Amino acid sequence: MDLATLGGQFLGTIPLGDIVLYLTTFNLFMFGAALVFTAIIAMSRTESQVEAEFGTLNEREKKVSKDEFKIRRFLSIVCGLATAGAMITGDLFNFTLFVCLIGIVNIGIVAAVKEVDVLDSAFQYGIIAMIATLPLFGGAASILATTGTISLLELVNIPTSAFMLFSSILLFIGVAGESGVAPFFATKAEMFRTAGSPFLVIIHLSSLLVIVRTIEILLIINKPFGV
Amino acid sequence: MVIEFRIKKCRHIITLNLIGEKKMNLMADILLNVTVAFLVGSILFGLQRKVMARIQMRPGPPIIQHMLHTLKFFIKETVFPRTAAMPFYVAITVILCAIWVAAVIIGPVTHGPLLLLFAIFAIHKIVEHNAGSSSGSPYGKLSCVRAVFSAAAELPLFAVLIIVFIQTGTMDLNGIIAYQAEHGALLFTLPLTAMMFIALIISKSYYYSPLNITLARDIVSGFETEHFGTLRGFIMISEAITWYMLLWIFLTVFLGALTPIEYLIGMVILTAIVGLINAVTPILNPNHSIMTEVTLAFIGIVGSLLMIFFL
Repeated sequence: MDLATLGGQFLGTIPLGDIVLYLTTFNLFMFGAALVFTAIIAMSRTESQVEAEFGTLNEREKKVSKDEFKIRRFLSIVCGLATAGAMITGDLFNFTLFVCLIGIVNIGIVAAVKEVDVLDSAFQYGIIAMIATLPLFGGAASILATTGTISLLELVNIPTSAFMLFSSILLFIGVAGESGVAPFFATKAEMFRTAGSPFLVIIHLSSLLVIVRTIEILLIINKPFGV
Repeated sequence: MVIEFRIKKCRHIITLNLIGEKKMNLMADILLNVTVAFLVGSILFGLQRKVMARIQMRPGPPIIQHMLHTLKFFIKETVFPRTAAMPFYVAITVILCAIWVAAVIIGPVTHGPLLLLFAIFAIHKIVEHNAGSSSGSPYGKLSCVRAVFSAAAELPLFAVLIIVFIQTGTMDLNGIIAYQAEHGALLFTLPLTAMMFIALIISKSYYYSPLNITLARDIVSGFETEHFGTLRGFIMISEAITWYMLLWIFLTVFLGALTPIEYLIGMVILTAIVGLINAVTPILNPNHSIMTEVTLAFIGIVGSLLMIFFL
């Protein structure tokens, strides 16, 4: 199996010291999508939530304050860049670092909100994300211990062993916890009830793109069943 | 089957080619395929409404109603809510259109990797989410939260394409078509995988789908509620192309190389089946919808893997 089998045409590598980025059609598309969203988020203002008040004819408007806007926009941009990095890195350890950074800034984006329910949700997600760092880094470390490398360009040529499969499961559990997908999504979905649409979208964007990239990485490591 | 025709006063012959043979200029190929995707997708939506109406003993709207609706929005005034998150509110509709045009390029035009189509579907979920939340409307916001929930169920359904990779050894559409030419259609080898993909198609059906919680009528028009005029027109174009592409992926991945006529027949049959299901089932609430999809994904993934290794 080669990388082109999974991600389309292999376009080349970008060696940056021991960090080697590689580009296939798939990685480039994901990288571009993450950057486009980040750019739009950086220049967008937030929406105002308008809700009818119960028992009166008035309406309630929820806005994001200027201080809150600044810190959340900064964290969203960091999250977008970390997501873009996770899309094209050819190094498993860098990937786990980017995923971990995404988890941290996701909590930060929501933690700036002053609503009890949303903060509760962010707190619960934070606990899951912290617990998930152990299998996340443990999975990457186990793969390094088994194969002697964490370069995806090398891993694609190494035959899969049972321990690599076990390490991949650890890695997947770690990514699922960090990105807050099923079965952890129920906690995370509550975070989306607050105002600040452009900042919330980056939380969702980072989760889904990281999951798609993880599928590619797991297939690279495991070359399932002799493929 | 390849259909060739010459445009008046044009020296080039345009080749209508839905299975990807490289016989014409790439740009013309893209334009033609995107136009076909929009027209066929719109008419299939009309057909779906017609099927539903006839089952419910109503005459139903004309079959071109969805297309007329789409075109109508382009001549209506475009207004922007005072509460909207600009320019995200506008950009999101452009992104929605762009990703599905990209899907047409990756699918029918170049026969690229399935993983890329999976990535496009993931971005589609993000766009659904943000189109809802960017307007400030409570209906859009509810749709946005539901989009987050439904992503957790729909992505595993789309990820069944990984099982196709395990079976065929390739993510490349040409490779999958070649595999089926040699070993027979995957529909018969991986029926549970095909069943999961049909569940995904049902969940993306525009009119009264039991699983489409982001556009359920209890929240008016969901994430589309506060998009008007040209913006709504772009969203409707994207929806028609989305429907065409989902059916195209299903037919290509599970039946192999088909002629344009066979594609059309397959799409009409699938749309009629979805219309029948939508007409006779209630719209599920979000929790039931998610659990139905998750259960189908679990049965499909475990069942398909067992079939691959033990049959």
